[in-house]
Formats: sequence, structure tokens, C-alpha cells
Amino acid sequence: MAGLDRQTQDRRIDDTMLIREAQRGNRAAFEELVRHYDQSVLRLALHLTGTEHDAQDVYQDAFLKAYKNIGSFRFECSFYTWIYRIVTNLCLDHLRRKNVRKEDAPVAKDADGGEYDLLDQVADGRAGANPERDLMRRQLGARIAGALEKLTPRERMVFELKHYHGLKLRTVGEILHTTEETAKNTLFRATQKLRGALADMR
Amino acid sequence: MKCEWVRESIVLYVYGELADDARHELEQHVARCEDCAAELKAEQSFHALLSRDRAEDPTPNLLAASRMRLQEALETAHQGAWWHRLAFDPANWLRQVRFSPALASAILILGFAGGVGTTYKVYGTRTPVIPPPSQNQAPSDASIAGIESVTQNPGSNQISIKYNTVSTQEAQGSLNDQRIQQLLLYAARSNYNSGVRVDSVDLLAQKTNDMQVREALMYALQNDTNPGVRLKSLSALGNYVKDDVNVRDAVLRALVNDTNSGVRIEALRLLEPVKADGSVRGVLMALAAKDQSTYIKSQARTMLAQLPEID
Repeated sequence: MAGLDRQTQDRRIDDTMLIREAQRGNRAAFEELVRHYDQSVLRLALHLTGTEHDAQDVYQDAFLKAYKNIGSFRFECSFYTWIYRIVTNLCLDHLRRKNVRKEDAPVAKDADGGEYDLLDQVADGRAGANPERDLMRRQLGARIAGALEKLTPRERMVFELKHYHGLKLRTVGEILHTTEETAKNTLFRATQKLRGALADMR
Repeated sequence: MKCEWVRESIVLYVYGELADDARHELEQHVARCEDCAAELKAEQSFHALLSRDRAEDPTPNLLAASRMRLQEALETAHQGAWWHRLAFDPANWLRQVRFSPALASAILILGFAGGVGTTYKVYGTRTPVIPPPSQNQAPSDASIAGIESVTQNPGSNQISIKYNTVSTQEAQGSLNDQRIQQLLLYAARSNYNSGVRVDSVDLLAQKTNDMQVREALMYALQNDTNPGVRLKSLSALGNYVKDDVNVRDAVLRALVNDTNSGVRIEALRLLEPVKADGSVRGVLMALAAKDQSTYIKSQARTMLAQLPEID
């Protein structure tokens, strides 16, 4: 445990030096900094946007924005929080745009129809050691994805950061520029909605 | 009331977000209240259900592709303007001054240019302040570059403070203008904003027949922290690898020592016309034998293979 703390601390110091270097225009330092965070950033973007293409766009925009604005980073929060603020903002924009597109679409979205398409694809896909269980897992994934899409962008983001990324709600609040209390309420609402949407699943 | 609180807190309980005392309270309540116990069980099994689905890690391919795309974009991206940092981040600014003697002296020089050594007299609180007409404006904090001395005249309540000021000056002229050239040479060497250095090197590249300019470019090639600046200097020096031994040596040093593979590959390309030269040949052989970059290794081999054998 102490070793882990030490490691985080080392990483912090390391980051601080890299940030200072990057602020002086050292691109190599910035690229090193990117490598400390980009895997989790990409994972978040991938799960939130649902496509590799969109995830790559978020990744690109986020780090370019960070590079351009790193001069104004003043160590008031951790770099982790700072970079996640940029990423979550971009993701929220993405989710909002997606919601608008959905509403504009002439044909109302039929959740069940989408699901069957997915299941068809799975059925003629590769057969695993246990195809039935594999199928169940994919079916579950598709249902959860459908339920997540029905959340508001902010509920989705809080749930995503807490459930899939295991962040503390205090950190989630910091990232989203809100209080821990609001983050708690949002998480509560999100899980209520999800439970409602997935009530028939066991 | 209690049940309501428990219902709202169960999610936090499941996610380990309840404080110790609240957790204890919840557990106590659930042990007694059947409804809440059922609710907790339902939430836990729902949580377990959700946890069977996890966010996939990005594939190594996706990660590598994203990194490459970002790197390309960073080559041309510019950071916020330097005065931005100067104006909004005094702590960082001071740090720069502390760590960079070149910058510190630049500020001193600027200070002199901006009308230095103003003596600012502060009168004691009881005597009315009668500032001399030329000094009646108190300088804002941001324009003080440093305080040189503070002395109190013995036997009186007058204090003399000598301080330097920074003021932004502007110079205009053609590239042939001596003063413009001096400023560019200075900027290429010492400015801490890489954008300014790139611009200066870019302009200086048109004046490479001047020995002083060539020296500045070689200095940038060897010492600049920004690979973009190094690459620009390198390209500007390209025409002189044949005739100027110093330039050739500088390019060779870049080929061997530079940390950026783009710079190294460009250096290798520039040395192509002089590959028969003894020193270049030696370096090529060393690279062909063992270099971290397989591309450079194979390029060096190809170049060597094209050379006529001399024994």
C-alpha cells in the first residue's frame, strides 16, 4: 500500500516537471504527459461515443486543446482533473449533438429493432467456446448500451465516470465543476432510470 | 423518514461512497427493516448485473493510431501566445526568470532600452507627496523588472528606490536592417517561446551567407529544445554542408545526437551529397552497424553501398 502511494507521489512529481517543461514549449515533455493519461482518456471516449472514429476525434481535440492551453494550467487542481475536464466537456458536446440528431431523425428509434440487428450479427459471428453465454453477454451489453443512451448527457457522464471508471464522486464533481452532493444526486437518478429500463433483465 | 434516507443512500453504499458512520447507520437499519433489506438486495443484484458488462480497453492499434495522429497535429499546433503566459501567470514567469540567465539579462537589456534607472522617490507619510513631473506615474507591478537598490538617506525620511522597468518596444525594418538582424539573432537564441524562435529562424534562413546567422542557426540546431526549430535550422543550413566544415560537423552532430528522429532523418538526407567525406563516412558506418532506428540504419547502409570502395 505504501509502495502504491509512493508510486502515485512519484508520478505527481514527474508530472509537475513535465507540465512545467511543456509550459515552456517543450513538445516532447507534453507528449510524455499525454502517454501518462491517454489510455484512460481513450477508454472513456470509446465507451461514451460508441465508435472508434468518434473516440479518436475526442482524443485528438482534447489533447490539442490541452497543448494550446497548458500555459494557463496553474496547479490549482491535479492535471488528471484538468485533462478530464477537457475530455468530459468534449464528450458532453458529443452526446448533446447525438441527442439532437436522434430527435431530428424522421423515424422514431425502436430499441428492440436495434437489438435484433445486433443479435443477428452476433449469431453468424465467430462461435466461442460457449456460444450461448457469449450471446447472453453481448445481448446484455447491447441492452445496457441502449439504456445508457436514454440518460441525459450529464447523468450519463456521472454514471460513466463512477461505474466504469471507478472515480470518487468528489473527483467527479470537481471534473464536472459541481459539488459532490450534486454528483451523488445525479448518480442516484441515473441508476434509478437504468434499473427501470433494465427491469426485465436478470 | 429513515427509510427514505436509506433508499437514497443505497446506491452510494453499493459504490462505497458512504462515510463510515452513515454506512454503519444504514447497515443497522437494513438489519431491522425488511423492505429496505429487499431494496438493498435488489440494488446489489442490479449492480452485479451491470458489472458483467465492462468498458473495453482500446485496442493497441487504436491507441497507436490516435497517438500518431496527435503527434502530427502537434507539429503545426501553436501554444497560446507568450504574452498570455506573461500576463496571466506571474509565478511561472518568475520561475522562467530564475532559471534562465539569458532571459533575465534580456529583461535587464529591455529595461535599459525602456528608460532605466528611474529613481522613484517615496516620501514619508507626514510630508505631502510632491513627485517630480516626469515621475508622477507610479509604475504598475507588472512593469517592474527588478529593484536594484533601496536606500534611506541618513537623517531624513526620504527613501530612494532604483528599479528597472520592462516596456514592450517595437522595431520595424527590412531583413537587411542591421537592427532587425540583431534582434532576430537574439530571438533565435534566447526567446523562451518556441513560436518566436521558429519565426526568427525562418527569417534568418534567408540570410545564411552571413557567418553570424549561420552560427546562430548552428546554435539553434544543437541547443534548441523544440524539434521544429531544430528542423528549420537544419533545412536552412542544408546548402552549406559542402562548403562549410563547421556546418557539416553541426549536421553530423545532429544526426548522431538529436533525440528527434525527424531531425535525424533530415540530417541524413542533407549529408547525402557529402557522404564520401571521411568524417561523414565514419558516422555512416557507425550508424549502419548499430542504430536504434531501423530506418536510419538501413538508409545509412544504402548510402554506404553507393560509395565507391576505397581501401
